[in-house]
Amino acid sequence: MYKHLSFALILVGAFLGLAHADQFKFPLKPNSVRFAAIGDMGTGEKPQYQIAQQMISVHQAFPFDFVIMLGDNIYGGSAPKDFEKKFEEPYKPLLDAGVKFYASLGNHDNPNERLYKFFNMNGSNYYTFKKGNVRFFALDSNYMDSGQLTWLEKQLKDAGNKDWKICFFHHTLYSTAKAHGSAVELRSLLEPMFIRYGVDAVFAGHDHVYERIHPQGGIYYFTEGSSGELRTGDLKRTSIEEKGFDVDRTFMVIEISGNEMYFETLSRVGNLIDSGTLPRVARLAPKSN
Amino acid sequence: MGSGYKNQELRMKTTQASGYTTRSLLFMFILIVGWNPVRSQNTAPAKNRLDVSGGYKEFLDRVQGYVKLHKASEGTLPALKSTDRPELISAHQQALAQKIREARTNAKRGDIFTESAEKAFRNSILDEFQGAHAQDARTTIQQGAPVKAIHLHVNETYPDGVPFTTLPPTLLLKFPKLPNQVAYRIVGHDLILLDVEANLVIDTILETIPSDS
Repeated sequence: MYKHLSFALILVGAFLGLAHADQFKFPLKPNSVRFAAIGDMGTGEKPQYQIAQQMISVHQAFPFDFVIMLGDNIYGGSAPKDFEKKFEEPYKPLLDAGVKFYASLGNHDNPNERLYKFFNMNGSNYYTFKKGNVRFFALDSNYMDSGQLTWLEKQLKDAGNKDWKICFFHHTLYSTAKAHGSAVELRSLLEPMFIRYGVDAVFAGHDHVYERIHPQGGIYYFTEGSSGELRTGDLKRTSIEEKGFDVDRTFMVIEISGNEMYFETLSRVGNLIDSGTLPRVARLAPKSN
Repeated sequence: MGSGYKNQELRMKTTQASGYTTRSLLFMFILIVGWNPVRSQNTAPAKNRLDVSGGYKEFLDRVQGYVKLHKASEGTLPALKSTDRPELISAHQQALAQKIREARTNAKRGDIFTESAEKAFRNSILDEFQGAHAQDARTTIQQGAPVKAIHLHVNETYPDGVPFTTLPPTLLLKFPKLPNQVAYRIVGHDLILLDVEANLVIDTILETIPSDS
């Protein structure tokens, strides 16, 4: 009985998901930068595969070129079979379609993941790359030593002000989740630099929820840590939260064109959780958590 | 403490005024002897800072020696660049760890965290967990899913699948900067030095992270 009910729910969910995939409102402007964001996904369990399936469906309507990975890419071990089960298999259709994955390291990741070609880290724990008018900075928030801070400051400075600057890493600087919450110490080191050099948006994971924070210091902060793992009911929902979701797994898709960033956050069954158009903004004074 | 100083000064003046009798000389002697612990407490941080710098220098010398050994061991293996075959990454990590173990058969705790180095690290950790960042440092460790009740040993592989406890960044900035081959890790209440390419523990300091973290 329950099996039949579950099957029916999955069918309905799948139908809603596919139906949603046809309703994307992204502008799909020429030369825009299109990508997806996933975090805390590498469990190898069914929900990760279901999110991957949604990403594949979305990719047909919104052909994103690459995916940023917000850490905890491979949970529970780093044997070859882990890479297969927790990465290569679920995302195979995307890999086959030429979608690139850019990883950052979480606290569950073996640092030698930096040598795994499909993660595009080129052997380094932290690195930068450019797509269209967006400069990305992948950081290793497990190990924020002086070498990385010096490197980051130089890269942010050298990048100038023309392009969008997006940082991504594992430990979220702003979070209302109960399990981990804001990485306040890390924030005290990074945020002044982000503000000084005009970082526009920050994507992180670690808390197994989705959350968008009111702009802090003119910077958009997203936590996307539920693309495989989930901590149901974990959000405290304080005043810094603009939108939060902690009842199912999610992933994000983003398009950047000119001075606008369009984004959608979708659940495992394709429901629209959050969406919007965000402009590059003038700097605001940061709020305290 | 402040009123204590005033009383001592008052007593000294009184003693001088009475013409340095035997009793007053004895009293002064007690005062001087009594004064020393106060002086040593006040100068303790400066002394520790000196110890830290000496200990850290010795530590970095040992680390340089280790990195030479690491490079020599790695040089005997086929070079590994980015690859889409995770089995090659895994095999290289294991082979490198084995080579290093063979080259450090007699390695023991304290070879790199020497006595003076260990003292320096303990001082920095104490300073962090008693200083302005103490609460944030504790929170950082708690946020990183800390591993409890585990001691890793020299030449042991870091257990596959065990998450890394987040190192408080302000503490990390107090430690000497390391070459890319090695990194600090917190495991339970221990500080370990890990060869990140071989995933191998190369030294440890036991029970140095406060128990309430």
